[in-house]
Amino acid sequence: MNPLDHIPEEIRRTASQCRHYAMCKIDYLDTGLCPPAKKTPFVSFFPQGRMDLCAALAKDRIPVTQAAADIISSCTLCGSCDRQCHFVTGMRPMKVMQALKAFLETFLEKGGVPVLIPEDDTLKALKQMVGEQWATNDPAHLMAYADDPFPLAGPQMPGYVVLPGSAEELVEIVRFADKAGIPAVVRGNGGSVFGFVFTPGIVIDVNRMKKILLDPDNWTAVIEPGVTSFELQKAASEKGFRVNTAEPAATVCGNIVCTGLFSTWANVYGVGADHIVDMTFVDRHGRVFNANDKTAPNVFGFQKAVRPSPGICLEARVRMHPVTDDEEGLLVPFTTFADAVSFARDISRRRIGLAVGILGGHYLSTFMSPTQSLAEQTREVFSGILEMTCVVSVIGDKYARSSIRQMVPCVIDSRTFRMFMLGLPQLVRSDLADIVQGLESDRPAYETVLSKEMLPVLEAVLSPSPETLAAAIEDDLRGFYQDLYRRPHMTDMVWLTMFRIVSARMSRHRHMFAFLIYVPLAPVAVIQELMASFADIAEKYGIEHDLGFITPLDLGKRGILEYDYYIDHTDSTDAEKIRLAMPEIETMVDQVSRSYKGVTFLKYIFSQGCARKENFLYT
Amino acid sequence: MTGATGFLGIHLADMLADKGHTVIVPARSRNNMAPEERINALFRWLGRDRVPSCVQIVPADLNRSDLGLSPADYQRLGSRVDEIIHCASDTSFSERKRPQIEKANVENLHHLLDFAAKSRCCFFHFISTAYAAGKNQGICPETLVDTRSFFNVYEETKHRAEMAAADRCNREGIRLNIFRPSIVYGHSRTGRTLRFNALYYPVKILVFLKNLYLKKHREQDLESAEKMGISFTAGGTAHMPLRIEASPSGGINLIPVDFFTSAFYAIMENAVDGGIFHITNDKTKPVSDIIDYIRKYFHITGVQAVETQNYPAGPQNHLEILFNRYTEIYRQYMQDERIFDNARAVAILKPQGILCPDFDYSIFSTCMGYAESVNWENPL
Repeated sequence: MNPLDHIPEEIRRTASQCRHYAMCKIDYLDTGLCPPAKKTPFVSFFPQGRMDLCAALAKDRIPVTQAAADIISSCTLCGSCDRQCHFVTGMRPMKVMQALKAFLETFLEKGGVPVLIPEDDTLKALKQMVGEQWATNDPAHLMAYADDPFPLAGPQMPGYVVLPGSAEELVEIVRFADKAGIPAVVRGNGGSVFGFVFTPGIVIDVNRMKKILLDPDNWTAVIEPGVTSFELQKAASEKGFRVNTAEPAATVCGNIVCTGLFSTWANVYGVGADHIVDMTFVDRHGRVFNANDKTAPNVFGFQKAVRPSPGICLEARVRMHPVTDDEEGLLVPFTTFADAVSFARDISRRRIGLAVGILGGHYLSTFMSPTQSLAEQTREVFSGILEMTCVVSVIGDKYARSSIRQMVPCVIDSRTFRMFMLGLPQLVRSDLADIVQGLESDRPAYETVLSKEMLPVLEAVLSPSPETLAAAIEDDLRGFYQDLYRRPHMTDMVWLTMFRIVSARMSRHRHMFAFLIYVPLAPVAVIQELMASFADIAEKYGIEHDLGFITPLDLGKRGILEYDYYIDHTDSTDAEKIRLAMPEIETMVDQVSRSYKGVTFLKYIFSQGCARKENFLYT
Repeated sequence: MTGATGFLGIHLADMLADKGHTVIVPARSRNNMAPEERINALFRWLGRDRVPSCVQIVPADLNRSDLGLSPADYQRLGSRVDEIIHCASDTSFSERKRPQIEKANVENLHHLLDFAAKSRCCFFHFISTAYAAGKNQGICPETLVDTRSFFNVYEETKHRAEMAAADRCNREGIRLNIFRPSIVYGHSRTGRTLRFNALYYPVKILVFLKNLYLKKHREQDLESAEKMGISFTAGGTAHMPLRIEASPSGGINLIPVDFFTSAFYAIMENAVDGGIFHITNDKTKPVSDIIDYIRKYFHITGVQAVETQNYPAGPQNHLEILFNRYTEIYRQYMQDERIFDNARAVAILKPQGILCPDFDYSIFSTCMGYAESVNWENPL
C-alpha cells in the first residue's frame, strides 16, 4: 500500500511542519495531556511524535510496524492537540491524527499486517533494566528521536530508545552502554532542536523521571532530570516561590547543563551556577558524582572552548526565590533601541525590578497575538503607528513600578496590557490607528495614546474581552479561546513571564534559529554592531531576521542578546542559506568578541552551563 | 516639477498638462510601487484614464546629490529643462522629526538648485508657505523675512529654503518665484483631497469620538461615554463639552487647492521677473464659525470657542485634555493673528477673476462629505 495515496499532501505538509518544541508534552493550558502519551510518555505517543510518524509513513521511511499501529490506535481524537498546538503555532494537528487513523484503517482493511520488529540482545538487556514497557527498537518509536528542525543535522535513526524510571536505572543504562561500546545520548523530555542528540546507539529519554521535592525551609527544590520548567514553576508557585526557568517544555536540569539557563529573570536570579545548590551527575563511564564534592570534576569552572557536558544529570537541588504579593508587570515603550538598552541597564544597576527584558516589535506582538496574521497587524500598529520600536518589559513590586513611573513619561501597566491583549483585534481594525497616524506631535505617538485621559477612549475602542480576542480565531476554537482568556492569568504579565507559555509563538510562522551572545550593555554600540552584522549576513542570504530580546545581567554590567533568524526547516533552499550563513556568523561573533570585553558566544558556554557566571562574563 | 506624488504636486501637474506644457516629474518608488504606478494612481484619482502624454516620469531621488541619476541622464535631463517647479516638501511639524524635515526641505533643495545651475533652467518656482514669516505679528509682507523665530521646524526650514533659493538663483542668474500658500484644503467644488491633516484633523477627532461613543451608547454601554462627559440625545446628537481656546481677532487662513493651482499658474505666466507671492485668503475663518459648521453638519453640540483671556485657568476635562493633546501642534494656526499682505498676488489674480472663496458652510459640507465618503482615509 502506497501511503502517498492515502495521506493527502496537505496533511503531509502539516505533519512535516512540527517544530519539535515539545509544548504538547506539558499541560500548559489545562486541556490535559494527550491521553495515551500520559500513560506511555515516549515522544512517539505525543502529538509531536504522531506528526513525525505521519511524515515518516508518508515518505515511506518506515513500515507500518506494530508500534505504529498501537500509537495510531491509541489516539482518542480528543482534540487536545489542536487546542495546544494552535495556541502556540497556529497549526491543527487533529487533521493529521484523523488522517493517520484513516490510513491505518485502510491498511488493515486491505489485509495489511503490522510488522513485528524482533528483539535483539541489547534490547533484551535494556528491558531488563527498565522493564518490558520502557525500551524499544521499533522504528515507529525510534523515528520520533531521529530528527529535529535543525536542518544541518539528522535524520539519524537510533538503535534503541529507553525511558529509565529512576537514577539507578539511568546509571545502569550508561554503564551498560559504556561497557558494550554503544553510543548513548540523553534527551530531556525527548526534545531536541539543535541537532545535538542524534545517535545510532541508545537514546535515553528521561521523561519518566519527574519527581519534584520542594524544600521551602531552604528555598530549594530537588528535581529529577525529566522535570520541565513549567512543572517546576507550577509546583514552586503553589508554595509561594518562583524559580528561574526558561522555555516551559524544556527540562530544568538539561537547560542548566546546556546553556546555564537564562531568561528575563536572570536579571536578578542570575545564570549558570546561580541556579543550583548541588547537582548529581553520571559521567559517560557510569561514575556518579556530586558537583559539591571536593574531589568531583569542577563543573563550576569555565573554559572558552567547546567542551563536552560533565555527564547526565541525575538530580539537582535548585534555588527557589521568594515572591511578594504586589508584583505586577510593566512595559516601558521606546522609540529607539539605544534608549531602551540604556534604560534597562539603568534599572538593573539600581536594582529596580525583577525580570527585565528588552523586546523588539516582533517579539511583543507575537507574544500577545493568538494568530500570526493578528501578530503582523499588531506589530504594524505598535511599531509603525504607535512608534514603539521596542519595549522594556519589567516585573516588579509596587516600589519598583513607582520608581519606573518617575523615570519615564509613560508605561503600559498591567491593566493597559490586559486591555491591549484582549482587544487586539479591535486595535488593528479601528479608526484609532488612523487618528494616531495623523497625529503631529513632538512626543512619540505612544505617549499620547497611553496618557491617562486616553485610557477610557482606548478601552472604548478596544472593547477588551475574551470574546473580542476570540473573534480573531477560527469558529470551532472560538469557544475554547473565550474560556481560556477568562482566566485572569492568561493576561497577567507576571504569570506569562514566569511560565513563558507564549515563547514558542516566536516560531509560529517559521522555525527560529536563536543566536545567543553575552554582551556588555555599555557602550550600546557593541550590541548595535553585532545586530547590524547579524542583519547584514541575513540580508546577504535572504534570510528573515529580527532582534529577539536582551536581558541585563549582574546589575547591568552584562546582558544576553538573542538575535533570531527564521527559516522554513522543511525547505532545502533555506537549509542551504543557513549552512552558508553559519560560518560567517561564527567568524563575525568571534571577531567582535576579540575586540570587546564581555562578548562571548553561547556556543562556548554550551555544556558548561553549571559554570559560575563570573567565570564566563568577565574573562 | 518635483513633488508630483503629493497633494499639491499632482494638482499642479494636472493643471500644467491641461495647459499644454510638457512636465517632467522626477519620482521615487515607495511602498513597493514604481514611480509610474504612483503617478498613474494619482491621475486616476483626479479622474483621468491615464497619465497625460505630456507628463514624463523620470525615476529619480532628490535625497541624493546626483538625484539618483547617472551622469549621462543627469546631463540629458538638464538639457531638457526650461523651468523648475519645486513642490516636494516634508510638511511635518514635529521637532523630533527635524533631521528628516531639514533633509527634505533644505538639503534636497540644494541638490535641486545644483541641478538647476547646471541645466538650461531659467526660472525656478519654489512652493513655500505663508508661515515662513515665522512668529512675526501683524502684517507679513511679500518679501524675504529676516527672522529666526518660528512656531515649528516646518516654518523654519521653509524660511531657510527661501533664503537658499533666493541666494543661489541670484548668483546663477535664474529668475525665482516664491509661492506662499496658507493652509490648503480640498477642492472647493468636489471636496476631493488626499490628506486629512491640518483643517481636517481636529474635526476628524471629534467625529471619531462621537462615532465611537454613539456606537457604545447604542449597545447600551452608557458608562463609557459618561467617563468622557459625552452624552447623546434620542436623535443621536452628541453633546461633547469642549472649550477651544480662540483668538478674538485671529482665525484660520484657508485656501482650496483649486484656487491655489489657478493662482499659481496665473502668477507663473505673468510674473516674468519673478517675485514672492502670498496665495492666501483675505478672510480668515474664526474657529467659532467652524465649530458652528461642525454642530450643523455632524450634530455635535457642546463645543465652544473661548477667547484666550476668558479661557479658565482651572482644570480641563478629559475631553479637553485629550483634544488639546492631539491638536497641540495646530493650535497656533487655529488662532493665527498674522495678516498676509497679498497685494502683489492680487494684482495679478484679480484682473483674471481668480478669487479665493470664503470657507463657508457649503464648502465645509462638501469637504466633509468627501472625507466621509472615503472614511477619512487617503483614498489611494
